[in-house]
Amino acid sequence: MTHSYVLTDAPAVLARARAGDSAALETVYRAYEIPVYNLARRICRTVEDAEDVVQETFFEVCRSLHQFRGDGSLWGWVRTIASSKALMRLRRNKYRDTDELDEEYHRPGTRVDAGLRMDLEAALERLPETSRAVVWLHDVEGYTHEEIAGMMDRTVSFSKSQLSRAHTRLRRWLGEEVVLAPEVLE
Amino acid sequence: MSHLSLEELTRLREPGAEPGLAEPRAHLARCQSCQAEASRLDQRIARLKALPTLRPARDQWPVLQQKLTAERRRRRRRWGGVAGLAAAAAIAAVVISPRLKRPVPAQEQVIYQAMTRSQQLEQLIQSYNPDQRVTDGVTARVAGDLEDRIARVDRDLEMAQLLQAAEREQALARLWRQRVGLLDALMDVHLTRANEVGF
Repeated sequence: MTHSYVLTDAPAVLARARAGDSAALETVYRAYEIPVYNLARRICRTVEDAEDVVQETFFEVCRSLHQFRGDGSLWGWVRTIASSKALMRLRRNKYRDTDELDEEYHRPGTRVDAGLRMDLEAALERLPETSRAVVWLHDVEGYTHEEIAGMMDRTVSFSKSQLSRAHTRLRRWLGEEVVLAPEVLE
Repeated sequence: MSHLSLEELTRLREPGAEPGLAEPRAHLARCQSCQAEASRLDQRIARLKALPTLRPARDQWPVLQQKLTAERRRRRRRWGGVAGLAAAAAIAAVVISPRLKRPVPAQEQVIYQAMTRSQQLEQLIQSYNPDQRVTDGVTARVAGDLEDRIARVDRDLEMAQLLQAAEREQALARLWRQRVGLLDALMDVHLTRANEVGF
Protein backbone atom coordinates (compact mmCIF):
# COMPACT_ATOMS: atom_id res chain seq x y z
CA MET A 1 0.00 0.00 0.00
CA THR A 2 1.40 3.42 -0.84
CA HIS A 3 1.22 6.39 1.52
CA SER A 4 2.45 9.88 1.80
CA TYR A 5 4.44 9.72 4.99
CA VAL A 6 4.77 12.81 7.07
CA LEU A 7 7.28 13.60 9.78
CA THR A 8 5.64 15.51 12.60
CA ASP A 9 7.36 18.81 13.41
CA ALA A 10 9.76 18.18 10.55
CA PRO A 11 11.73 21.49 10.59
CA ALA A 12 12.70 21.17 14.25
CA VAL A 13 13.48 17.45 13.98
CA LEU A 14 15.55 18.00 10.84
CA ALA A 15 17.52 20.85 12.42
CA ARG A 16 18.42 18.62 15.37
CA ALA A 17 19.14 15.64 13.11
CA ARG A 18 21.47 17.72 10.95
CA ALA A 19 23.39 18.64 14.11
CA GLY A 20 23.84 14.92 14.77
CA ASP A 21 21.27 14.58 17.55
CA SER A 22 20.77 10.83 17.88
CA ALA A 23 17.16 11.06 19.10
CA ALA A 24 16.22 13.22 16.11
CA LEU A 25 17.94 10.83 13.70
CA GLU A 26 15.99 7.98 15.26
CA THR A 27 12.76 9.96 14.79
CA VAL A 28 13.53 10.27 11.07
CA TYR A 29 14.32 6.56 10.92
CA ARG A 30 11.14 5.55 12.75
CA ALA A 31 9.00 7.75 10.50
CA TYR A 32 10.14 6.03 7.32
CA GLU A 33 11.53 2.60 8.21
CA ILE A 34 8.34 0.73 7.25
CA PRO A 35 7.71 2.35 3.84
CA VAL A 36 11.40 2.07 2.97
CA TYR A 37 11.43 -1.60 3.92
CA ASN A 38 8.21 -2.22 1.99
CA LEU A 39 9.64 -0.60 -1.14
CA ALA A 40 12.92 -2.48 -0.79
CA ARG A 41 11.19 -5.80 -0.17
CA ARG A 42 8.92 -5.34 -3.18
CA ILE A 43 11.94 -4.74 -5.42
CA CYS A 44 14.54 -7.10 -3.92
CA ARG A 45 14.28 -10.87 -3.99
CA THR A 46 15.18 -11.62 -0.36
CA VAL A 47 14.46 -10.27 3.11
CA GLU A 48 18.21 -9.95 3.72
CA ASP A 49 18.66 -7.75 0.66
CA ALA A 50 15.72 -5.59 1.71
CA GLU A 51 17.21 -5.18 5.19
CA ASP A 52 20.55 -4.20 3.69
CA VAL A 53 18.79 -1.63 1.50
CA VAL A 54 17.09 -0.17 4.60
CA GLN A 55 20.46 0.11 6.34
CA GLU A 56 22.18 1.66 3.33
CA THR A 57 19.29 4.06 2.75
CA PHE A 58 19.20 5.45 6.27
CA PHE A 59 22.96 5.62 6.54
CA GLU A 60 22.91 7.77 3.42
CA VAL A 61 19.92 9.79 4.69
CA CYS A 62 21.61 10.52 8.03
CA ARG A 63 24.89 11.51 6.35
CA SER A 64 23.28 13.65 3.67
CA LEU A 65 20.52 15.41 5.59
CA HIS A 66 22.34 18.71 5.13
CA GLN A 67 21.82 18.29 1.37
CA PHE A 68 18.04 18.09 1.73
CA ARG A 69 16.89 21.60 0.88
CA GLY A 70 13.25 21.11 1.78
CA ASP A 71 11.87 22.07 -1.64
CA GLY A 72 10.11 18.69 -1.92
CA SER A 73 8.71 16.31 0.65
CA LEU A 74 11.18 14.58 2.94
CA TRP A 75 9.50 11.25 2.17
CA GLY A 76 9.98 11.87 -1.55
CA TRP A 77 13.69 12.46 -0.97
CA VAL A 78 14.07 9.40 1.28
CA ARG A 79 12.09 7.29 -1.19
CA THR A 80 14.33 8.27 -4.10
CA ILE A 81 17.42 7.25 -2.10
CA ALA A 82 15.73 3.96 -1.16
CA SER A 83 14.71 3.25 -4.77
CA SER A 84 18.24 3.91 -6.02
CA LYS A 85 19.75 1.69 -3.34
CA ALA A 86 17.30 -1.12 -4.14
CA LEU A 87 18.03 -0.89 -7.87
CA MET A 88 21.76 -0.80 -7.17
CA ARG A 89 21.37 -3.99 -5.16
CA LEU A 90 19.56 -5.65 -8.07
CA ARG A 91 22.44 -4.75 -10.34
CA ARG A 92 25.05 -5.77 -7.80
CA ASN A 93 23.50 -9.17 -7.11
CA LYS A 94 22.90 -9.84 -10.80
CA TYR A 95 19.94 -12.04 -10.07
CA ARG A 96 19.35 -14.58 -12.77
CA ASP A 97 16.98 -12.95 -15.21
CA THR A 98 14.14 -15.39 -15.62
CA ASP A 99 12.58 -13.64 -18.63
CA GLU A 100 13.43 -16.32 -21.17
CA LEU A 101 12.55 -19.17 -18.88
CA ASP A 102 9.21 -17.60 -18.11
CA GLU A 103 8.42 -17.07 -21.75
CA GLU A 104 9.20 -20.71 -22.44
CA TYR A 105 7.39 -22.00 -19.43
CA HIS A 106 4.22 -20.09 -20.04
CA ARG A 107 3.85 -20.39 -23.75
CA PRO A 108 0.10 -20.66 -24.42
CA GLY A 109 -1.01 -24.24 -24.48
CA THR A 110 1.78 -25.58 -22.30
CA ARG A 111 0.87 -27.64 -19.28
CA VAL A 112 1.61 -24.97 -16.71
CA ASP A 113 -0.38 -22.31 -18.49
CA ALA A 114 -3.55 -24.32 -18.42
CA GLY A 115 -5.54 -23.58 -15.33
CA LEU A 116 -2.74 -21.58 -13.66
CA ARG A 117 -4.14 -18.94 -11.40
CA MET A 118 -1.98 -17.19 -8.82
CA ASP A 119 -2.85 -14.54 -6.32
CA LEU A 120 -1.43 -11.11 -6.95
CA GLU A 121 1.22 -11.34 -4.25
CA ALA A 122 2.63 -14.58 -5.71
CA ALA A 123 2.41 -13.29 -9.27
CA LEU A 124 4.29 -10.11 -8.36
CA GLU A 125 6.94 -12.14 -6.58
CA ARG A 126 7.32 -14.31 -9.67
CA LEU A 127 8.01 -11.46 -12.07
CA PRO A 128 11.60 -11.01 -13.26
CA GLU A 129 13.44 -8.50 -11.06
CA THR A 130 13.57 -5.64 -13.53
CA SER A 131 9.91 -5.95 -14.52
CA ARG A 132 8.85 -6.13 -10.90
CA ALA A 133 10.91 -3.08 -10.02
CA VAL A 134 9.40 -1.10 -12.91
CA VAL A 135 5.82 -2.12 -12.18
CA TRP A 136 6.22 -1.26 -8.50
CA LEU A 137 7.97 2.05 -9.03
CA HIS A 138 5.56 3.14 -11.77
CA ASP A 139 2.17 1.79 -10.74
CA VAL A 140 2.48 1.93 -6.95
CA GLU A 141 5.10 4.54 -6.09
CA GLY A 142 4.02 6.81 -8.93
CA TYR A 143 7.38 7.42 -10.62
CA THR A 144 7.27 8.41 -14.29
CA HIS A 145 9.00 6.38 -16.97
CA GLU A 146 11.54 9.21 -17.31
CA GLU A 147 12.37 9.02 -13.60
CA ILE A 148 12.59 5.21 -13.65
CA ALA A 149 14.80 5.29 -16.74
CA GLY A 150 17.08 7.77 -14.95
CA MET A 151 17.34 5.63 -11.82
CA MET A 152 17.95 2.45 -13.82
CA ASP A 153 20.31 4.10 -16.26
CA ARG A 154 18.17 2.81 -19.12
CA THR A 155 15.94 4.38 -21.76
CA VAL A 156 12.35 5.51 -21.36
CA SER A 157 11.29 2.91 -23.97
CA PHE A 158 12.92 0.22 -21.85
CA SER A 159 10.86 1.24 -18.84
CA LYS A 160 7.66 1.32 -20.88
CA SER A 161 8.22 -2.06 -22.47
CA GLN A 162 9.11 -3.62 -19.08
CA LEU A 163 5.86 -2.27 -17.69
CA SER A 164 3.70 -3.70 -20.45
CA ARG A 165 5.53 -7.04 -20.29
CA ALA A 166 4.94 -7.15 -16.56
CA HIS A 167 1.23 -6.55 -17.06
CA THR A 168 1.01 -9.15 -19.80
CA ARG A 169 2.45 -11.71 -17.38
CA LEU A 170 0.37 -10.60 -14.42
CA ARG A 171 -2.80 -10.79 -16.50
CA ARG A 172 -1.92 -14.30 -17.60
CA TRP A 173 -0.90 -15.56 -14.19
CA LEU A 174 -3.92 -14.03 -12.49
CA GLY A 175 -6.18 -15.81 -14.94
CA GLU A 176 -7.53 -12.55 -16.34
CA GLU A 177 -7.04 -13.43 -19.97
CA VAL A 178 -10.35 -13.36 -21.72
CA VAL A 179 -11.20 -15.67 -24.55
CA LEU A 180 -12.91 -13.36 -26.96
CA ALA A 181 -16.05 -14.52 -28.73
CA PRO A 182 -15.64 -14.95 -32.49
CA GLU A 183 -17.91 -12.01 -33.24
CA VAL A 184 -15.70 -9.74 -31.13
CA LEU A 185 -12.60 -10.89 -32.95
CA GLU A 186 -14.07 -10.16 -36.36
CA MET B 1 -8.45 -1.68 -36.34
CA SER B 2 -7.57 -4.70 -34.17
CA HIS B 3 -7.87 -4.53 -30.40
CA LEU B 4 -5.42 -2.51 -28.39
CA SER B 5 -2.32 -4.20 -27.01
CA LEU B 6 -1.49 -3.98 -23.30
CA GLU B 7 1.41 -1.73 -24.22
CA GLU B 8 -1.01 0.72 -25.85
CA LEU B 9 -3.39 0.49 -22.91
CA THR B 10 -0.60 1.21 -20.40
CA ARG B 11 0.53 4.15 -22.54
CA LEU B 12 -3.00 5.52 -22.66
CA ARG B 13 -2.97 5.71 -18.85
CA GLU B 14 0.03 8.07 -18.88
CA PRO B 15 -0.70 11.72 -18.17
CA GLY B 16 -0.38 14.05 -21.14
CA ALA B 17 -0.95 13.26 -24.78
CA GLU B 18 1.74 11.04 -26.24
CA PRO B 19 2.12 11.42 -29.99
CA GLY B 20 0.58 8.61 -31.99
CA LEU B 21 -2.02 7.70 -29.42
CA ALA B 22 -4.98 9.57 -30.96
CA GLU B 23 -6.12 6.57 -32.95
CA PRO B 24 -5.84 4.06 -30.05
CA ARG B 25 -7.68 6.57 -27.85
CA ALA B 26 -10.51 6.82 -30.39
CA HIS B 27 -10.63 3.03 -30.63
CA LEU B 28 -10.86 2.70 -26.87
CA ALA B 29 -13.77 5.13 -26.79
CA ARG B 30 -15.87 2.90 -29.04
CA CYS B 31 -14.62 -0.65 -28.30
CA GLN B 32 -16.28 -2.40 -25.36
CA SER B 33 -13.73 -5.22 -25.35
CA CYS B 34 -10.80 -2.82 -24.99
CA GLN B 35 -12.69 -0.83 -22.38
CA ALA B 36 -13.10 -4.04 -20.40
CA GLU B 37 -9.35 -4.74 -20.76
CA ALA B 38 -8.55 -1.18 -19.65
CA SER B 39 -10.82 -1.60 -16.69
CA ARG B 40 -9.06 -4.86 -15.71
CA LEU B 41 -5.73 -3.02 -15.97
CA ASP B 42 -7.06 -0.25 -13.70
CA GLN B 43 -8.31 -2.82 -11.22
CA ARG B 44 -5.00 -4.69 -11.25
CA ILE B 45 -3.10 -1.50 -10.50
CA ALA B 46 -5.57 -0.63 -7.73
CA ARG B 47 -5.01 -4.09 -6.24
CA LEU B 48 -1.23 -3.63 -6.46
CA LYS B 49 -1.57 -0.38 -4.52
CA ALA B 50 -3.75 -2.12 -1.96
CA LEU B 51 -1.27 -4.94 -1.26
CA PRO B 52 -0.42 -5.08 2.44
CA THR B 53 2.59 -3.14 3.64
CA LEU B 54 5.47 -5.48 4.37
CA ARG B 55 7.13 -4.75 7.69
CA PRO B 56 10.69 -5.47 8.80
CA ALA B 57 11.04 -8.36 11.23
CA ARG B 58 14.12 -6.83 12.85
CA ASP B 59 14.74 -3.39 14.29
CA GLN B 60 17.79 -2.08 12.45
CA TRP B 61 18.16 1.17 14.36
CA PRO B 62 20.71 -0.18 16.92
CA VAL B 63 23.03 -1.32 14.10
CA LEU B 64 22.55 1.90 12.20
CA GLN B 65 23.21 3.97 15.32
CA GLN B 66 26.44 2.09 15.94
CA LYS B 67 27.53 2.66 12.36
CA LEU B 68 26.76 6.37 12.59
CA THR B 69 28.60 6.66 15.91
CA ALA B 70 31.59 4.78 14.46
CA GLU B 71 31.64 7.11 11.49
CA ARG B 72 31.52 10.20 13.71
CA ARG B 73 34.36 8.75 15.78
CA ARG B 74 36.34 8.02 12.64
CA ARG B 75 35.84 11.55 11.38
CA ARG B 76 36.85 13.00 14.72
CA ARG B 77 39.92 10.79 14.78
CA ARG B 78 40.74 11.63 11.18
CA TRP B 79 40.59 15.38 11.72
CA GLY B 80 41.29 15.71 15.42
CA GLY B 81 44.09 13.20 15.34
CA VAL B 82 45.76 14.59 12.27
CA ALA B 83 47.46 17.43 14.12
CA GLY B 84 48.66 15.21 16.94
CA LEU B 85 49.84 12.46 14.68
CA ALA B 86 51.57 14.90 12.40
CA ALA B 87 53.36 16.35 15.39
CA ALA B 88 54.28 12.90 16.68
CA ALA B 89 55.51 11.91 13.25
CA ALA B 90 57.48 15.16 13.01
CA ILE B 91 59.10 14.47 16.35
CA ALA B 92 59.92 10.94 15.29
CA ALA B 93 61.38 12.33 12.09
CA VAL B 94 63.46 14.83 14.06
CA VAL B 95 64.64 12.04 16.31
CA ILE B 96 65.41 9.67 13.47
CA SER B 97 66.41 11.67 10.40
CA PRO B 98 69.66 13.28 11.70
CA ARG B 99 70.88 9.80 12.46
CA LEU B 100 69.83 8.20 9.21
CA LYS B 101 73.26 8.71 7.69
CA ARG B 102 74.87 6.76 10.48
CA PRO B 103 73.78 3.37 11.89
CA VAL B 104 70.22 3.75 13.17
CA PRO B 105 69.55 2.37 16.66
CA ALA B 106 67.00 -0.46 16.84
CA GLN B 107 64.43 1.64 18.70
CA GLU B 108 64.32 4.26 15.97
CA GLN B 109 64.06 1.64 13.28
CA VAL B 110 61.10 0.17 15.10
CA ILE B 111 59.40 3.59 15.21
CA TYR B 112 60.06 4.23 11.54
CA GLN B 113 58.80 0.81 10.44
CA ALA B 114 55.72 1.02 12.63
CA MET B 115 54.88 4.50 11.28
CA THR B 116 55.21 3.28 7.70
CA ARG B 117 53.08 0.22 8.38
CA SER B 118 50.50 2.33 10.19
CA GLN B 119 50.24 4.62 7.17
CA GLN B 120 49.80 1.65 4.82
CA LEU B 121 47.05 0.17 6.98
CA GLU B 122 45.23 3.52 7.20
CA GLN B 123 45.27 3.69 3.40
CA LEU B 124 44.03 0.11 3.08
CA ILE B 125 41.15 0.75 5.48
CA GLN B 126 40.30 3.97 3.66
CA SER B 127 40.28 2.21 0.28
CA TYR B 128 38.04 -0.50 1.72
CA ASN B 129 35.63 2.31 2.65
CA PRO B 130 33.81 0.76 5.63
CA ASP B 131 31.30 3.65 5.83
CA GLN B 132 29.69 2.57 2.58
CA ARG B 133 29.29 -1.07 3.53
CA VAL B 134 26.48 -2.93 5.18
CA THR B 135 27.44 -4.31 8.53
CA ASP B 136 25.90 -6.19 11.45
CA GLY B 137 25.68 -5.17 15.10
CA VAL B 138 28.61 -7.25 16.31
CA THR B 139 30.98 -6.01 13.60
CA ALA B 140 29.94 -2.40 14.16
CA ARG B 141 30.53 -2.74 17.92
CA VAL B 142 33.93 -4.44 17.57
CA ALA B 143 35.05 -1.91 14.94
CA GLY B 144 33.82 0.93 17.17
CA ASP B 145 35.80 -0.41 20.15
CA LEU B 146 38.96 -0.70 18.05
CA GLU B 147 38.51 2.82 16.71
CA ASP B 148 38.10 4.11 20.27
CA ARG B 149 41.32 2.40 21.27
CA ILE B 150 43.16 3.83 18.25
CA ALA B 151 41.89 7.28 19.23
CA ARG B 152 43.30 6.75 22.75
CA VAL B 153 46.67 5.71 21.31
CA ASP B 154 46.65 8.85 19.16
CA ARG B 155 46.10 10.97 22.26
CA ASP B 156 48.92 9.13 24.04
CA LEU B 157 51.18 9.79 21.04
CA GLU B 158 50.49 13.49 21.45
CA MET B 159 51.29 13.27 25.16
CA ALA B 160 54.50 11.36 24.43
CA GLN B 161 55.87 14.49 22.78
CA LEU B 162 56.19 16.07 26.21
CA LEU B 163 58.50 13.37 27.54
CA GLN B 164 62.29 13.53 27.81
CA ALA B 165 64.21 12.25 24.76
CA ALA B 166 65.07 8.77 26.03
CA GLU B 167 61.64 8.10 27.48
CA ARG B 168 60.01 9.63 24.42
CA GLU B 169 61.66 7.19 21.99
CA GLN B 170 60.63 4.27 24.09
CA ALA B 171 57.04 5.51 24.39
CA LEU B 172 56.80 6.35 20.68
CA ALA B 173 58.01 2.88 19.71
CA ARG B 174 55.54 1.21 22.05
CA LEU B 175 52.61 3.39 20.95
CA TRP B 176 53.27 3.13 17.22
CA ARG B 177 53.52 -0.65 17.55
CA GLN B 178 50.27 -0.65 19.48
CA ARG B 179 48.65 1.49 16.78
CA VAL B 180 49.75 -0.93 14.05
CA GLY B 181 48.32 -3.87 16.00
CA LEU B 182 44.97 -2.14 16.42
CA LEU B 183 44.80 -1.09 12.76
CA ASP B 184 45.63 -4.67 11.76
CA ALA B 185 42.80 -5.95 13.93
CA LEU B 186 40.41 -3.34 12.48
CA MET B 187 41.28 -4.35 8.94
CA ASP B 188 40.71 -8.02 9.89
CA VAL B 189 37.27 -7.21 11.28
CA HIS B 190 36.24 -5.45 8.06
CA LEU B 191 37.66 -8.14 5.80
CA THR B 192 36.04 -10.96 7.77
CA ARG B 193 32.67 -9.23 7.45
CA ALA B 194 33.24 -8.63 3.73
CA ASN B 195 34.04 -12.32 3.20
CA GLU B 196 30.93 -13.35 5.12
CA VAL B 197 28.56 -11.24 3.05
CA GLY B 198 30.41 -12.05 -0.15
CA PHE B 199 31.48 -8.62 -1.37
